[in-house]
Amino acid sequence: MSRLDSFIRRMSAQRLLLNEAADLIGELDGPVVDLGIGNGRTFDHLAALFPDRAVFAFDNFIHSAIDVLPPPERMVMGDIRDTLPHALPRLGARAALVHNDLGSADAVGNAATAAWLAPAIEAVARPDAVIVTSFPLPFSSSVSLPLPAEVRPGRYHLIRLTI
Amino acid sequence: MAERAVRRKSRLDVFIARMTAQKHFLEDVAGKIAGIDGPVLELGLGNGRTFDHLREILPEREIFVFDRAVTAHPASIPDGDHMIIGDIRDTLAFCGPRVKRQAALIHCDLGTGDPTADLAKAHWLGPLIDERTAPGGYVATGIALDLNGFEALPRTGDAELGRYWLYRKAA
Repeated sequence: MSRLDSFIRRMSAQRLLLNEAADLIGELDGPVVDLGIGNGRTFDHLAALFPDRAVFAFDNFIHSAIDVLPPPERMVMGDIRDTLPHALPRLGARAALVHNDLGSADAVGNAATAAWLAPAIEAVARPDAVIVTSFPLPFSSSVSLPLPAEVRPGRYHLIRLTI
Repeated sequence: MAERAVRRKSRLDVFIARMTAQKHFLEDVAGKIAGIDGPVLELGLGNGRTFDHLREILPEREIFVFDRAVTAHPASIPDGDHMIIGDIRDTLAFCGPRVKRQAALIHCDLGTGDPTADLAKAHWLGPLIDERTAPGGYVATGIALDLNGFEALPRTGDAELGRYWLYRKAA
């Protein structure tokens, strides 16, 4: 399988899990957080899925298309390692859904990111929040949720916090 | 669920359609160029995913990649002879001595997302692509091109949504 094949499957899995998460958080109040706005594709998908929720994006620089940028109060600029643990006043409420795609293609880099990211997410997410992430995160207490049949286990992750 | 049913197409939807259209166009063309001599030109290495796919589906074909800089994943970087570094507007015009033959397939994913910038790019890119394409050769592109002597081939639903085009030069 080429890296193009693998990429198409990963992006399709991301979309399937975000759509699934939209059903899962139906009854949970709270904003949606996108970690790493990148070029804004996933943020735009979240904005389309959640027209009635506040969707916040975090990144240390902006290079997304100008027509998908969040309003300034919902674009948190800075190193996510620093900003996320202190973001609760800005979010206004604990997040119902967090999407993380900060990963690189390198498993060692992802493990290093995961070590600081998991507690930072716990600091701003509901204790029963849904997490969609491109690599495993070592939360203090969480369960993996069943994946849609089209998503191969390990390609993308759907988690509920149980804190 | 009612809300989901009427959800607008997102950038993510368009992007997945685009990558899928690109993959299908390239695989379709790979089966059709067996009788056409000439290399493959990949305009824009980017992350290297499409280059990786091209060398998988066309293992016997020489592939030249053009980009301003190498920013690809280490697993998919061409060797030095086949990586042409510089502004494509300049290098494509002067690549003849290096690439030699006209190409059986040119793939171009240089779109900027801004329609005016894409028009400007298509204006200088079209003649250069024409010059480098072998008779009967194919051009798969993320920018619509106005190419004399080329036929625009039918597009899938993914290509329509993802804005991808396929052209064939008259044999």
